Amino acid sequence: MPLDTQRIGVLLRHNLILVGRDPGHLIAYIVMPMVLMLLEAPLYRAAMRGSLGTTQVVTGMLVMFSLLALSIVGYAVLTERTWQTWDRLRATPAAPLELLIGKAGTILAVLVAQQAALLGFGARVLGLRVPGAKAMGLLCLAVLCWGVTLLAGGSALGLAVRSPGQLSAISDIAGLVLTGLGGALAPLSAMPGWARVAAPVSPGYWAMAALRAALSGDTVGTLRAVGVLLALAGVAAGYACWRVSRTRTRL
Amino acid sequence: MLRAQGLVKRFGAQTALDGFGLTVAPGEIVGLIGHNGAGKTTFVEIAAGLVRPDAGTVEIAGFDVRRHPGAARARLGLAPQQLALYPTATVRDNLAVFGGLAGLRRRALRDAIAEVAAATQVEPLLGRRVGPLSGGQQRRVQTASALLHRPAVLLLDEPTVGADPDTRQALLSVVRDRAAAGTAICYTTHYLPELADLGASLAVVAAGRVIARGEQDELLAALPGEIRLGFADGTERRVPSRHPADDLPGLLAGLPPLSTVDIRRPSLDDLYHSLRREVRDAA
Repeated sequence: MPLDTQRIGVLLRHNLILVGRDPGHLIAYIVMPMVLMLLEAPLYRAAMRGSLGTTQVVTGMLVMFSLLALSIVGYAVLTERTWQTWDRLRATPAAPLELLIGKAGTILAVLVAQQAALLGFGARVLGLRVPGAKAMGLLCLAVLCWGVTLLAGGSALGLAVRSPGQLSAISDIAGLVLTGLGGALAPLSAMPGWARVAAPVSPGYWAMAALRAALSGDTVGTLRAVGVLLALAGVAAGYACWRVSRTRTRL
Repeated sequence: MLRAQGLVKRFGAQTALDGFGLTVAPGEIVGLIGHNGAGKTTFVEIAAGLVRPDAGTVEIAGFDVRRHPGAARARLGLAPQQLALYPTATVRDNLAVFGGLAGLRRRALRDAIAEVAAATQVEPLLGRRVGPLSGGQQRRVQTASALLHRPAVLLLDEPTVGADPDTRQALLSVVRDRAAAGTAICYTTHYLPELADLGASLAVVAAGRVIARGEQDELLAALPGEIRLGFADGTERRVPSRHPADDLPGLLAGLPPLSTVDIRRPSLDDLYHSLRREVRDAA
């Protein structure tokens, strides 16, 4: 059955309304990293060579707060379950793929907008350099793929948890652990040996790698990191689909 | 028309539906009654395409729910038992998303929202968020959202739960109007007087299948009524009777002084309990 773009449009608009009606998390995850970037930038510039310090603080805060934004995705999925609206949507003529695109499209846009806002802030206020169109293209690719990874991870989380409290606890703890382990809070070279060994298990590590490689115009490095991110996204999306097939909210 | 045939659904060791069959003609209201766990909601979920049956078929306006899900759902309006609305969005936004997904666009959507909002008395609430509304108001919004696209078949699963008398009357009036316009309506409820108000035919569900189906009068005619004799000393005697007018003179002969005589016709409650007893005894 061909996808109905009008129905997808209805869903995108509706989900945008839902985000717009309750934007607290999104605003917090944009404002907080900006404040931290301003406060931490001098420290990172002093500890690392100037521009490397700027890159570290901008990409680090971006990865940290985009990982914490897993909760935005998780809430978007969890609330459809707790409000019982998911089954009502399923009972409409909309195909499952249309429902998925309508829901995920809006959230992906939100995640990408968050990252774009932080990168824009880093460039404008902290002097983050994006050397040329190629680097910009790679950066867009890295941001998009990181957004897809977060979307898949957040959806899996939203389908696995049973309550907002559980979601909040898991996303906060996992966000901080994966952020730290990925080298977003401190450069990997400054971390303990065991943490350096364990770092590649964190999606945050690959997000940092993709963003750093993109900012230096390194196509191979960006594609490699992006490939790992998409593989992780595939695993999370597979788990989410498995959960969807087993989730039955009582009407 | 809604047509369900031979539906079987098991959840692990539990059999929710066991050969469930039901037909609802255009313009007909069928009251689906049965105890909790009888299989009513499972049937609604299967008819809405949310749960896959182990066996059997459901057709909505001639479209098989499994083979042509899009076409079947486009002709179906569902108001589930649980409130299922977006509490942070306004009433208008809620109606717009369900109307939009049902295929209504721009002017047609605006007109449909205005029409159902008037019919369900939610017009003054259109700009308000759903979350803070009362349970009865939310219930009306939910029913309105099922009516927007004028579906050929309406599945209303306990639509008046938690509704005050005014809300209940408003909802029943909408249901009657839609049936008069040719919609086939399957109405699930535990509140049997509503079915009498609606003039609905009945389908009694027990143990996962329809055990009795027909017009209320037909089904009630099979049950005995009751003659209640109140004596002057304050005691009471109840006598089951299929023909109270014929039986009464014989009963009165030789009795002590009476203070009251009531003849009670069988009610839907009596029918329901009688059928339940039959199922239990058979089991």
